[in-house]
Amino acid sequence: MLFPCTLEQGRCNAHCPKTEVDFDLLSRFYWNEPYDGAPLGHFTRILAAKAGGHISGDFQGGGTVSALVTFAFNQKMIEGAVLTGSEGIAPVPRWITDPKEIANHAGSKFIAAPTLSELNRAVRARARRLAVVGTPCQMTALAQMRMNPLEREEFVDPVSLAIGLFCNWALDHRSLVAYLKERMNISDIRAMDVPPPPAEVLVVKTTGGEERFSLKEIRKLIPHTCFICPDMTAEWSDVSVGMYEGRPGWNTLLIRTRVGAELVDKAVADGWLKTEEFPKENLKALSRAALAKKERSLRQAERQGFLNTAAENERPSLYIPSDVVERILGREAA
Amino acid sequence: MHSIIDGRPEDTQLMQGNESFARGLLEAGLIVAAGYPGTPSSEIIEHLAGVSQERNIYVEWSVNEKVALEVAAAASFAGLRSAAIMKQVGVNVASDFMLHLAETGTREGMLLISCEDPGALSSGNEGESRPYAKLFEVPLLEPGDIQEAKEMMPWAFELSEKIRNLVMVRSVTRLSHASGNVTLGSLPEVAAQANFKHRGQFLDPVEGPMVPLPVFFHHAEMQRKLKEAVEAFETCPFNHYEGPEAPEVLMVASSACSLYAMEAIQMLHVTDRVGLLRLATTWPLPPKLMETRLSKAKIIFTVEEVLPFMEDNIKALAAELAGRIGVKIFHGRGDGTLPSVNELNPDLVAKGLAKVLNIEYRPVAESYTKAAGAANEAAVPARELAFCAGCPHRASFWSIHNALELDGRDGFVCGDIGCYSMALLPTGFSSLKTMHAMGSGTGLASGFGKLRRFGLDQPALAVCGDSTFFHAVMPALVNAIHNQSDMTLVILDNSGTAMTGFQPHPGLEVDAAGNDVLALDIAGIVGAMGAHVETNDPFDIDGTQQKILDLLERGGVNVLILKQICALSPEKKGRKLFQVNLDESVCLGENCGCNRLCTRVFKCPGLKWNPVTKIAEIDDVICSGCGVCASVCPSGAITKKEVA
Repeated sequence: MLFPCTLEQGRCNAHCPKTEVDFDLLSRFYWNEPYDGAPLGHFTRILAAKAGGHISGDFQGGGTVSALVTFAFNQKMIEGAVLTGSEGIAPVPRWITDPKEIANHAGSKFIAAPTLSELNRAVRARARRLAVVGTPCQMTALAQMRMNPLEREEFVDPVSLAIGLFCNWALDHRSLVAYLKERMNISDIRAMDVPPPPAEVLVVKTTGGEERFSLKEIRKLIPHTCFICPDMTAEWSDVSVGMYEGRPGWNTLLIRTRVGAELVDKAVADGWLKTEEFPKENLKALSRAALAKKERSLRQAERQGFLNTAAENERPSLYIPSDVVERILGREAA
Repeated sequence: MHSIIDGRPEDTQLMQGNESFARGLLEAGLIVAAGYPGTPSSEIIEHLAGVSQERNIYVEWSVNEKVALEVAAAASFAGLRSAAIMKQVGVNVASDFMLHLAETGTREGMLLISCEDPGALSSGNEGESRPYAKLFEVPLLEPGDIQEAKEMMPWAFELSEKIRNLVMVRSVTRLSHASGNVTLGSLPEVAAQANFKHRGQFLDPVEGPMVPLPVFFHHAEMQRKLKEAVEAFETCPFNHYEGPEAPEVLMVASSACSLYAMEAIQMLHVTDRVGLLRLATTWPLPPKLMETRLSKAKIIFTVEEVLPFMEDNIKALAAELAGRIGVKIFHGRGDGTLPSVNELNPDLVAKGLAKVLNIEYRPVAESYTKAAGAANEAAVPARELAFCAGCPHRASFWSIHNALELDGRDGFVCGDIGCYSMALLPTGFSSLKTMHAMGSGTGLASGFGKLRRFGLDQPALAVCGDSTFFHAVMPALVNAIHNQSDMTLVILDNSGTAMTGFQPHPGLEVDAAGNDVLALDIAGIVGAMGAHVETNDPFDIDGTQQKILDLLERGGVNVLILKQICALSPEKKGRKLFQVNLDESVCLGENCGCNRLCTRVFKCPGLKWNPVTKIAEIDDVICSGCGVCASVCPSGAITKKEVA
């Protein structure tokens, strides 16, 4: 906190994805139903997707996010987008108004980024009709903002499209730089990747080749807040996009809202996006992974007193209906 | 504007104490004056500089007080009457040279005038310089009123020339900054001719080299000169005694306290019981004069500010004289008859004297005090010390504070001396965690930056002003660079010595007398020293914050110069960079969600909270148009438009 505050419920508290996030409240607001703890959150369709012929680039996966954001610009659905680019290995959020700049922001960052500060800057500059692309925690914060939690009468939602990214964890920038600095010349770094299991490595691509670091070591650089995050697939967004394990060049695409569905359908119809059915086995695997994260994180949050804490003067990180918690943690009464 | 050389001899003019000092120096034929700004001393140099061309004298703002004393000493060595002028802490800075100067002695008359700040009205300490006179064995004078401030100057120069050594003169705020009637003397024709004679015999004080060797010879000379000064002190025309020949109580007072003592005696109607020795020659005490007065009273009540310096010396002298004058009872600051800290005033002295005389003293009825206190509480809003509207320091500390919080490693700021010292208060977001002498912030950060190996992993940041940079920060920065410390220095460059009234410094293109001079480039100097240096406008909050965050990540010594002219500087005052507007339909008022960040935390006096409409407003009269609040408002309710 930058300054001491006497407010019970202030702007930061209302928006922060790590203080008093009420999943049931969010679920009822966005999905008109109680929060049920489904592994992938609320969604209407799941697809395999990749960019259509209109754009090309060096995408981490299938270029689905770049295609959707560019298409949204072309459709005049959005006038700007808040994305995350890179300077060296540091992720740098940027507000863009020209779709040509989208390509510069493609690719996974693996490092926690202050993307929403850029949204704040854009909104203060009176930007409206924005797309925001972000991680699950950023989507959670954004979803809370879009609920107008402070009940401002003149509130206008400046966001027209929220695209969530799958995320298991991100790395702390300062710790990662310190770690890598001791082992390599960080100015040579061009890209990073975490190949699917069982690789268990962080691959750092450099001008002269690549270096590999054991994830066992790298995991020590994860901010502790990632370990209480139950959301792998950015559940509070219009669409969520992630890797499609075992099928390079393709993404997993979860459609969650009507806005998301219409955008995807139009993008497919106009040739901006190619989609295919997402195999049941893959859905099972994805759900298993997402549920595992939920279970792991809720256990950790509970252990640390961050889950549904009831004690006086204590504020939990998460409010989740207790029956849902019990179900996720497998403690449900028979 | 009124000048200190206006008016004819025998005219009586209303003058500020410091004007009177300056006039006295001119009447005494001063040729060279040097000083460093510091309240309450600054006006003496300013007044002299204002007439330097007409009077054909040389006046400078030196880079610091030690150099000021050296510049003045050079003039004395070359045969010109000179003075160095500073505040009490400046004497600490000058003290190293002062000791050696006292050893070599001076030639033409030379004064060190120290204007001091009892009660620390404009200081970070309640120090005083009189003990230096004793420590370095030079005579000390303290004028007792504003006329004497002028009258004493020729006498002090003559004494300095007689003993060929430095003479110290001490003033205090209530003498330097009070005003009174001064009858003028004549201004001499100045025909100065400077020449430094150095080819004489080694020990020749007039034509030999000015060196302190052999030390024992010179030390003995210092003491011989001091004895000569004591002789002169016995008949000094500025020592006065008033009262019964054999009073019940002898009050001994100096400087502004002489006036308080006179008033206290009147207020208590005890002129027939109490005698007052107004002493100008406070070190060394003239023993014959003292014996005459001490022998005639049983009770001695010493009234002085800050330390019981005179009181202790009187006690020592009385012990020596005990065989002839008998045993005395002493009162003063030492035994608690007077408060041992803070300024004195006539009321406190009257209270003390009443205690000594065992009489009742009630300045006002208790009911009045109570009623006045209640009225004050109701009518006078509580106000903290605060940066002015549009002050670049508020913007700088907003960025510094936020960057350190965002950095998250419990970093801290080592403060320094200037307006920005107020950043230890909420107006600077309580950012400063140390504050000592000029340049000490950087010295401390240099030290903190070497403690990593012992587990200190907090970023150490120092701040200093542009004038302070030249005064005392440069050696500390050299130290940090040479010793490979990890620290960040933020230089708050507001283009002047703002706190004391915009006196020029070596970074500016003008000198004390208004001449064009070469400005030294701080960024160039710092870069040449070997530090990584960046510059930014502190009004650019986002850019400044990012630069600080980046510098905190770097190792070694980093310097960020935040350059923006002081809002009160004559060049800028009244000119707005931006027209700042607040959109009432966008301001969320109490629903801001940041708990009124603008008027609760940022708190620029140009922003006000309207308790009726419950939204913030821009006070157009106060707002100086810096536009920083537009970057602070979380809702974007404040906008700024560049003023053409």
